[in-house]
Amino acid sequence: MIAQLVELAGRGDVGADALWRRFERTTVAFEWGRLKSAGTTEEAGTNVRVHQRGRVGVAGTTATDAAVELVDRARASAALGEELDLVFPAHAPLPSLPTFFERAANASLDQLIRIGRSLLARLEREGCRVNVAIERESTSTRVYNSAGGGGEYRSTGFAVSADVWRIAGDDVLVVSDAFEGADLPSDEALAGLVASINARLDHALRVVAPPEGALPVVFTPAGLSALMLPVTQALSGKAVLQGISPLGAKVGEQVFDARFSLSDDPLRVGRTASRPIDDECVPSRVTCLVERGVVQRFIYDLETAARAKTESTGNGQRGIFGKPVPAYTNVVLGVGDQASGATPAELGGGLLAEINDGLLVDELIGVGQGNVTGGAFSHPVALAYRIERGEITGRVKDAAIAGNAYELWKRVGGFGNDARWTGSRWAPSVLFEGVSVARR
Amino acid sequence: MIDRLTAALARSRADYTEIRVERTWSTAVTFRGRRLESATASEDQGGLVRALHAGGGWGVASFTSLDRLEAMVARAGELSRAVPVDPPIRLADVPPQQVDARLDLDRDVRGVPIAEKKRLLEAYNGAMLGVSDRIVDTLAVYRDEVSEYWYVNSQGTILHELRPDVTLSGTAVARRDGTIEKGLESIGMRRGWNSVQDKAAAFREVAQRAVQLLDAPRVRGGTYPVILDPELAGVFIHEAFGHLSEADFVYENPQAREMMTLGRRFGKAVLNVGDNGAAPGLRGTLPFDDEGTPTRDTTLIKEGILVGRLHSRETAAAMGEPPTGNARAISFRHPPIVRMTNTYIAGAPGGGGFEDLIRDVKLGVYACGAFGGQTMLENFSFTAAYGRMIRDGRVAELVKDVVLAGNLFQTLDRIDHIAADFRWNQMGGGCGKAGQFPLPVTEGAPHVRIEEALVGGDVGAA
Repeated sequence: MIAQLVELAGRGDVGADALWRRFERTTVAFEWGRLKSAGTTEEAGTNVRVHQRGRVGVAGTTATDAAVELVDRARASAALGEELDLVFPAHAPLPSLPTFFERAANASLDQLIRIGRSLLARLEREGCRVNVAIERESTSTRVYNSAGGGGEYRSTGFAVSADVWRIAGDDVLVVSDAFEGADLPSDEALAGLVASINARLDHALRVVAPPEGALPVVFTPAGLSALMLPVTQALSGKAVLQGISPLGAKVGEQVFDARFSLSDDPLRVGRTASRPIDDECVPSRVTCLVERGVVQRFIYDLETAARAKTESTGNGQRGIFGKPVPAYTNVVLGVGDQASGATPAELGGGLLAEINDGLLVDELIGVGQGNVTGGAFSHPVALAYRIERGEITGRVKDAAIAGNAYELWKRVGGFGNDARWTGSRWAPSVLFEGVSVARR
Repeated sequence: MIDRLTAALARSRADYTEIRVERTWSTAVTFRGRRLESATASEDQGGLVRALHAGGGWGVASFTSLDRLEAMVARAGELSRAVPVDPPIRLADVPPQQVDARLDLDRDVRGVPIAEKKRLLEAYNGAMLGVSDRIVDTLAVYRDEVSEYWYVNSQGTILHELRPDVTLSGTAVARRDGTIEKGLESIGMRRGWNSVQDKAAAFREVAQRAVQLLDAPRVRGGTYPVILDPELAGVFIHEAFGHLSEADFVYENPQAREMMTLGRRFGKAVLNVGDNGAAPGLRGTLPFDDEGTPTRDTTLIKEGILVGRLHSRETAAAMGEPPTGNARAISFRHPPIVRMTNTYIAGAPGGGGFEDLIRDVKLGVYACGAFGGQTMLENFSFTAAYGRMIRDGRVAELVKDVVLAGNLFQTLDRIDHIAADFRWNQMGGGCGKAGQFPLPVTEGAPHVRIEEALVGGDVGAA
């Protein structure tokens, strides 16, 4: 169907590409400690793009048997579009990458329920309530263009998330973690999830006064979001094109700590964001963004690459509706390694020992609000711990931290030995000196 | 379609079954700077079945191919049987409804050529760009949709609706050397093409503000009396309090239930809060929720005391309270969950106007508009679009980076003066919860004074 669609759309001097995606998903949810619902989803849709008379148009639909109407809408969209020198990639060999795992594809409802029950049993504790959600999905993707490029693949995904709530008076505490991967999680991965939640919960039960001043602060792999978001936004070719990236003119310059490297890696086996080809027929490859503190390059899709007069890095992502956008796959900080779900190291990744008085930050409030790309941030803590004489002494409430991400990344106090996946980001705990901490 | 759905219902072996089918036509136009980024038209269709067997959990099946309707009804029933639940799920009684409701389309957007939509947005985008050379970037987005909606359940409810939605948003970025400031405008209505005409002035105003902010100092961090404008006060009550009043947060969690016990004092007697899904002409308004329950005005806080909460049929039955028509889903891809509709702080009759709130304030902050806000349980952080200092009872200089952070319970309790100048804020965007975003909602409030609140972007440096 998809090949005919490209042919239909790409007649004459009109170029075209199209993406067809179908997925089916099963979910099981345990709410407040008990099994509550089971669901299934079947969805398929098509997104088509045409390039006619130098202009680009896009249309999408979940309706079947709507090919002609879909192409008409894409052409009407192109009639309004601005001129763009878009080149559809020709046929190219795809990297060999396993993305489909039978065990995840075939996992039964009973298996999902068993995983949930075993997590509940291990997470239950006096005075707490537990939510668990488990999801498996199986997807087929086909993407082709009128220049002969394209490919198709099947993929699977599996996600397990759990959160533990404790409400005592007006003090609400939530500790959560999730496993996300392309294959069924191993017993060790599930044990790691339980250990990670329990360790953070144990330390959180005692509330202590927050410290104050310019202090050493360790960000856990999850807590690191506030410091990573400005960097990933600034390394997107789209931000560079718009002229709002502080890194736009810094290629080849030492901007970060010399131990800091960052790459986009769609070829990691077992990750849900991994795929052999992007959604615009560009074969997947690893893109080095920052190497030993020096800015290397930005991510692009076909359109932003055409406008920036460069090549797509294979970061085109498209949904059923709307046009492709540049998006990261797996963001990998530092050297990383392939292991995931290993037994977690102690909280703080070995960075706490030298800290006399400081903070360990696991979650912040309001990350992503305000002028993120500029690098300045200021957030109340949602989950953070006080460090005194090298040890965690308890949870702090009513504290806020502030700083500038670019200033902090210039001089990193240390990288932890606890690198792990948080969603599609691989990172360890990171220690920064002189982060501003305030009480309120 | 109704015949097809009722026939499929009749074959269901579950004790309760509901089917929702939607067909949505939408267009979206985006300008960035002077460039048209995209102009697309889409068609989305699909359905969702929920089934309940006695002693079973919810079985849910969603699909995009209507050919699968009968199979999906059967599948939802099987899923319900596969998840035993104890104690069993019960649903509060709602009388069966049979209604064909066509909301006012106010000139149907489906009859307007996409080129005309492009022209309209280009003019609004141009209004922002034309303000000053300092405006270096803009983002202007027009979105519309009309959704045809069918809902049937095995208790005899049959609904057919035509639901419009149209939104406009504009972001203006002003820059001078290394300083970047932005202005944000957002308009959203459950209406049609006529409702988005003549809005250029609003777009011009946000661009002017972005330019003015280039010269504004950062607010000095600290605690102040803070006056929230109606927009920020509305966002505050939705984010900081509204989510806690959603009964799915408390109904099976004894500690949460205790925290949200009806009769608990949440504020001073001047504070009245509610959620009204039946208020005419608003984005959060619909005749019925996605379980076929009629919407209504629900009082949540009356004279400072917690008196109500928002319910689905399930949470209402579990807590022995009346259903409120707050079970909503963003689309056929999701089951309904407890959500807000149009949430408000009521104006205080005799509360006077803005001038009356600042008259006795020696040094304070007037926080206006909202760039964003996040609540984590009892803690919140809101970024105002801009602020003005209040000095000796008068509005003084423009300030930027006004971030309000605090504890919900303390902050609600510190609301000491509410004006009478209530207004609804007809904004685009929407509310997010449990992966369902954006749900059309509206917020409304008058000017509200908090006697003391923490303000400051530079909390650490202060």
